[in-house]
Amino acid sequence: MSTALLILVTIASVISVMAAIIWILKLRRQLSENTRNAAQLAPTLRQLETERDIAIAARDKTNEILASVIDGIVALDFNKNVILLNKAAQELTGYSETEIQGRPIDRMIRLFSEQEEILPKTYCQGSFNKPVKVVGKEGKQTKVNLMTTQAEGSVQTNLGCILILHDLSKEEELEQMKLDFVSMASHELKTPLTSIIGYLSVFLDEAGNKLPKENLDLLDKAFVSAKQLQTLIQNLLNVNKIERERLDVEVEPINLNDNFGKAIEDLQNQAKLKNISLNFSRDDTLPKVLADPVRIGEVINNLVANAINYTSAGGKITVYMKASPNEVTTTVEDTGMGISQEAIPHLFSKFFRVSNSMQKGNKGTGLGLYISKSIIQKLNGKIWVESEVGKGSKFHFSLPVAIQDTSSLDRNKFVSEAIQTGALNY
Amino acid sequence: MDPASKKILLVEDEDFIRELYVRQLTKAGFQVKSAVDGTSGLETLKAETFDLLLLDIMLPGMNGLQLLREFKTNNPTSPMITILLTNLGQEAVIKEGFELGAQAYLIKASYTPDQVVSEVKNALFGGQPVPPPNPTQ
Repeated sequence: MSTALLILVTIASVISVMAAIIWILKLRRQLSENTRNAAQLAPTLRQLETERDIAIAARDKTNEILASVIDGIVALDFNKNVILLNKAAQELTGYSETEIQGRPIDRMIRLFSEQEEILPKTYCQGSFNKPVKVVGKEGKQTKVNLMTTQAEGSVQTNLGCILILHDLSKEEELEQMKLDFVSMASHELKTPLTSIIGYLSVFLDEAGNKLPKENLDLLDKAFVSAKQLQTLIQNLLNVNKIERERLDVEVEPINLNDNFGKAIEDLQNQAKLKNISLNFSRDDTLPKVLADPVRIGEVINNLVANAINYTSAGGKITVYMKASPNEVTTTVEDTGMGISQEAIPHLFSKFFRVSNSMQKGNKGTGLGLYISKSIIQKLNGKIWVESEVGKGSKFHFSLPVAIQDTSSLDRNKFVSEAIQTGALNY
Repeated sequence: MDPASKKILLVEDEDFIRELYVRQLTKAGFQVKSAVDGTSGLETLKAETFDLLLLDIMLPGMNGLQLLREFKTNNPTSPMITILLTNLGQEAVIKEGFELGAQAYLIKASYTPDQVVSEVKNALFGGQPVPPPNPTQ
């Protein structure tokens, strides 16, 4: 039994050893196969590694490009969550990329056009291009121009909409500096000019009739030029105010006869020097209108000065008013060169000048009509033109009739009528 | 109606404008004094009484409105007429001037000195004055 057991054990041992040898042999074969496979995989691995490096480099390059763009770029997925925020956008909104990534944009960055909030469903639909106010982290506000494009994203890229934010604060700062400069320069120019006009007018009053006509003519021309310069400076200041949205009007019931009478009287010399007859038809039945006496004086001054500029010697300018139940329409009619039909739609735009003007030394800055329109609109009136080349022009503007109430004027009746007409103003 | 009986104080910092206005007002027969800034203007008003004050708003140091406020605080019943000398576009300042008791304003750049004189005459003699609280004349 013990022998049998011994043999059995021996056989078992032999089998075990044999099995071990077989296993080892098998393992060796496997090993060598693996080694061979690994050797075969190496190039693939190397290729993958290279491709990975290229992808990383490409990503870095894209990030670098996005970071160097001075406009803010924000990319959103289909659900309007932020997936990318470049460096400029981070600076504009105050958020770092990690703070905002994956979050819904409307909870992080709010956009306002005028006073109204605009939502992703609005600005991500079609193409959007408008100045807006961006409110970012901790209420940080910046004025930007927002442009959006809808990305043609697939499910994989999950790219919905791209926002481009162009910072307007620096441009606004420069614009403000420009406006401040024009305003300051105009005021500074006005002071010595007021002296020039003052002294010339006194001299003309006192000595004008003692001067030979030839000398008087020299002085008249200097005086008229100084007055033109004054109108020009006033126009610059007014445009400045319009741009700043600070052109204020003080409306009161006024008598246009007196107001226009004075303004036209001031322009008589200018017309006379060009040998143009300037006529004003008073209409004493005219109702009072609601207007700002100073501003409306500027409108008539600009319209008549234009008419003088664009009318040749021997021509005629007439200013007259016509009342209807609700409004008074004033017309400045000239026998000048007229305006082409193509030019008429642009006539009231800033800096527009009729280019084919035959007038030598074609004067004007292209501001007078623009300002006149702004003023008339502020006064709830209308301004328009009828013109035919070679026949002359008619500029019309209408103002609302004032409902009779003179109590505020009665209060101050101790001051002359001139005060009521704008010479002095209450 | 005699200009010689009326005393005017002009407060204006621009030399040429001040000289010209003083010349024309004097020529028109008024008694005219002038001051170059707000502080000296107020000093002059403390020392003498005037019938009319022609007051520039933009002045170095104490400006026209500060001068007017100070004067009205000390002389609430003064019958002196105040006309503000302004540049166009100072609507807010003019409104404030009226609240402080100024009766009128005129825009320097738009008026020749003679027009200024005629407005002064109109303000002093032109119509039926609203009686001041304590008439002195």
